Amino acid sequence: MTRRKAQPRQQSKKSSKGVKARQTARTKRNRVIATTSIAAVVVAFVAAIAFGGRKPTPGASGVSDATTVAGRVTGVLASTLDQVGVGQGVTPVEMLPPSTPPLTQNGKPDVFYYGAEYCPYCAGQRWPLTVALSRFGTFSGLGITTSSSNDTAPDTPTVSYHGSTYTSNYLVFSPVELQTRTGETLDTPTPAQQDLVNTYDTAPYTTNPGAIPLLMIGNRYIQIGSSIDPASLAGMTQLQVATALSDPTAATTQEIGGAANMFTAALCQLTNGQPVDVCTAPGVKAGGSLLPAAPVGGP
Amino acid sequence: MTPRWVPRVTFGLALAGVAVAAYLTYAHFTSPAALVCSDKGLVDCTKVTTSAQSRFLGMPVAVLGLGFWLVMSALLSPAAWRASSQWPHRARVVLSVLGIVFVLWLVYAEFVIIGAICLWCSVIHVIAFAEFVLVMLYGLDVIRPEAAMEEEG
Repeated sequence: MTRRKAQPRQQSKKSSKGVKARQTARTKRNRVIATTSIAAVVVAFVAAIAFGGRKPTPGASGVSDATTVAGRVTGVLASTLDQVGVGQGVTPVEMLPPSTPPLTQNGKPDVFYYGAEYCPYCAGQRWPLTVALSRFGTFSGLGITTSSSNDTAPDTPTVSYHGSTYTSNYLVFSPVELQTRTGETLDTPTPAQQDLVNTYDTAPYTTNPGAIPLLMIGNRYIQIGSSIDPASLAGMTQLQVATALSDPTAATTQEIGGAANMFTAALCQLTNGQPVDVCTAPGVKAGGSLLPAAPVGGP
Repeated sequence: MTPRWVPRVTFGLALAGVAVAAYLTYAHFTSPAALVCSDKGLVDCTKVTTSAQSRFLGMPVAVLGLGFWLVMSALLSPAAWRASSQWPHRARVVLSVLGIVFVLWLVYAEFVIIGAICLWCSVIHVIAFAEFVLVMLYGLDVIRPEAAMEEEG
């Protein structure tokens, strides 16, 4: 009896010792994992900060400014644009006749922009166009530049589409920047794009055939020239214009935001009202009131 | 045995995380100017919160942060630390690791890509780091493989 009772107690003692040993080993292993991972995180933090610190400080129009400007112009809040509504000083787009063949690419409506970095009206037009397109997709690689110093509204601050990409589930954006601000060649239009220019960048849409910028919104709307006055951006940097876009009361935001709402309303017609939250936003509905009811030259 | 102060402190950190993330989310949906923060030099909240990196997979990072801290508040509550079930203990560790990895990306983005830091984001990063350290030091010990096996069995 005694031996029979003693056996389980010994086994229990052994088993208890085993459990304790396993627990101790596990605690030790946990400490190693914890210490190693904490150390790894600390090293990673230090590396990120040190790497950032070594990065050369960009100049006034350096890489960092371009990134910041791009972030701000593509990230204007819907609430800000709703407060702007129709805005002020916006030149409306024109409607193309319903018989105009739709402009599409890969089954998606195509927005064609044809301009150049030296051109002050292109500089003005890019702001609202970028704000509007950012509500349907994502830009990457947007640059910053200014228009020519020797033209109307010299040195108008702006973004540049040269080298940028735009991805969207709803639209295709096909920008062509012909030249730099000093006249060096940048992009060359495709034959199809050149056909569009030859066909539409002329009367009755303009009295100055071949003028830039030319904006074709899926062959439903057209604008030759700028929807905003580039002179209203005089004396500002790209960063100042982009930063002011968070203030719906700023004069530049009234122009850019109002034109962006108009473009967004036009784009919503191409996407059949998608995305719904964008196309039903109060600002976009207000912007839609700027769209013409009849095509150029009558209904 | 987890020291009694650990659940209290980690829960407090998580609630602080919720508060700051809610503040950043409010600023995101109203105006970056709503943040009490410098907008010049290295500390520039507007520059950070309006940058391209202020969104992740199309979602505002502020909103993701708020969601993260709400979930972490539940997992770091004293009740969750006492839970006999193993999944809160595992989820706490997994989310802490994911959280700190995301914080590392954000710190990298601030210093290397954007070239500015956001004061309130940094407060969240410090909270996330402190929470990560405590979870790694004490959260691993409450995971009992044998209990997990029993649960799965």
